[in-house]
Amino acid sequence: MSISLAIDTSTSRTIVGIIEGGQVTFEEFHDGATDHGRALSELVAKALKTCPPVTHVVVGMGPGPFTGLRAGISFAHTFALARDIPVVGVCSLDAIAIQESSYTVAVDARRKEIYWARYENGTRVDGPHVSKPDQVDGFIFGVYPDMKKLVALADTQSVTEPMYLRRPDAVPTAERR
Amino acid sequence: MQPIVLGIETSCDETAIGIVRGRTLLANVIASSVDEHARFGGVVPEIASRAHLEAMLPAIERAVAESQISLRDIDAVAVTAGPGLVGALLVGVASASGLAQGLGRPLYGVNHLAAHISVDYLTHDQPTRPTIALLVSGGHSSLLQVNDITGSITKLGATMDDAAGEAFDKIARILQLGFPGGPAIDRDAQSGSASAIDFPRGLTTTNDWATRPYDFSFSGLKTAVARYLESAPKYVRADVAASFQEAVVDVLLLKSLAACKATGIDSLVIAGGVAANSRLRAVATERCAKAGIELRIPKPDLCTDNGAMVAALGSLMLSAGKPATRGAFDADSSLPVEQVSL
Repeated sequence: MSISLAIDTSTSRTIVGIIEGGQVTFEEFHDGATDHGRALSELVAKALKTCPPVTHVVVGMGPGPFTGLRAGISFAHTFALARDIPVVGVCSLDAIAIQESSYTVAVDARRKEIYWARYENGTRVDGPHVSKPDQVDGFIFGVYPDMKKLVALADTQSVTEPMYLRRPDAVPTAERR
Repeated sequence: MQPIVLGIETSCDETAIGIVRGRTLLANVIASSVDEHARFGGVVPEIASRAHLEAMLPAIERAVAESQISLRDIDAVAVTAGPGLVGALLVGVASASGLAQGLGRPLYGVNHLAAHISVDYLTHDQPTRPTIALLVSGGHSSLLQVNDITGSITKLGATMDDAAGEAFDKIARILQLGFPGGPAIDRDAQSGSASAIDFPRGLTTTNDWATRPYDFSFSGLKTAVARYLESAPKYVRADVAASFQEAVVDVLLLKSLAACKATGIDSLVIAGGVAANSRLRAVATERCAKAGIELRIPKPDLCTDNGAMVAALGSLMLSAGKPATRGAFDADSSLPVEQVSL
């Protein structure tokens, strides 16, 4: 039976889950936009106390604020390396569970923008994008990835690069003033 | 068998992994994003952080392979917890936490500055007596008294404005020598005269010696160089580079030797990226010999940011019986030098 450690740090919430053969046996979160590193380490330590050896790691690759996002991905990568088990990245927005067939979800992208994607019949048809909220119609906000859905996505996805969707802010010396 | 410690360093633009067995260096892998920053004239934090994440796994795998060990042979993990760029540090700390938890091994969160000094013990014996340490890099310029590298460091002074390495970067930019400035100025200065131009030595007036003997200031020197270039449009670049470098080296050593004399400590360690500067090494050797002070400078490739220094400090702490960091911890971008570990 597969035992997956699920990690998502793409929002202000650090979420950790253990999914054993499709059943959630542990799921906890910590809210705090700058707490990801510390919270993740604590939640994983807690999750591992009671569960049998983990066979897979699944991690949300964003989109999400960069610093927190990297904490989750970095941890997932080295944890999997240490255990010599596979790690799979998935799109964090896809893991948000909404009880409708067609919908748009969004999470905070800071700088008065949102990361969003649109779904029809459970499939992503547009996005992920980063936009001003007034440019996106009828999105659901204040929602977070679900660890069971995150792990299920690993059967069909393999996202290898963090979904930053924005370039670093920096101006080359030659283009200044 | 001596314990094996893996060290992770990501405080600036180097993704670095070092592995030591006791005090023996097994691997020192450095992936630098310096080329990506060059066209910006300095390190761009977000670019550095992205590069750390990309480089981390390949760097760990290479270091383990070069050490001819398996990951499971590692007895402890050490990581730079600060000071440094917070987003960059966080990639290292999260990677180290994942590795330590995955392996079920203790994790030491250590100070970047203390690690710079401790790397010397991979090549020289650990001093049994206190030493003065001059720590000079692109981000730091401090004069320290080190009683015990695993726990007791006192700050005697630090720069009040630019770090020494930062001054090299800025002058190199004015002279159009490129980034990073340290190696470029060192090279250019080889063919110049160090006494061609008498640039100012910051904080060396009688009053400065009385009130802040161990602090540094390099912003006045930077202005003096800029003014000189304006006043002498036909300047000889190598002479400017050599004379600027001489002013920095002179003031660093004046204050370091003064600290040795005042404290009665006859041992000096010079560490950090600027310690790779050939003129600093040469003048330090000369002046310390004259003053009867034992000088230690790590090999040039261990002076710039690296993982071996983090592994070295972790290893020293482990062998001194110091406890690992308790529980989860955050990166601390302004971790004071007195705090050797978390």
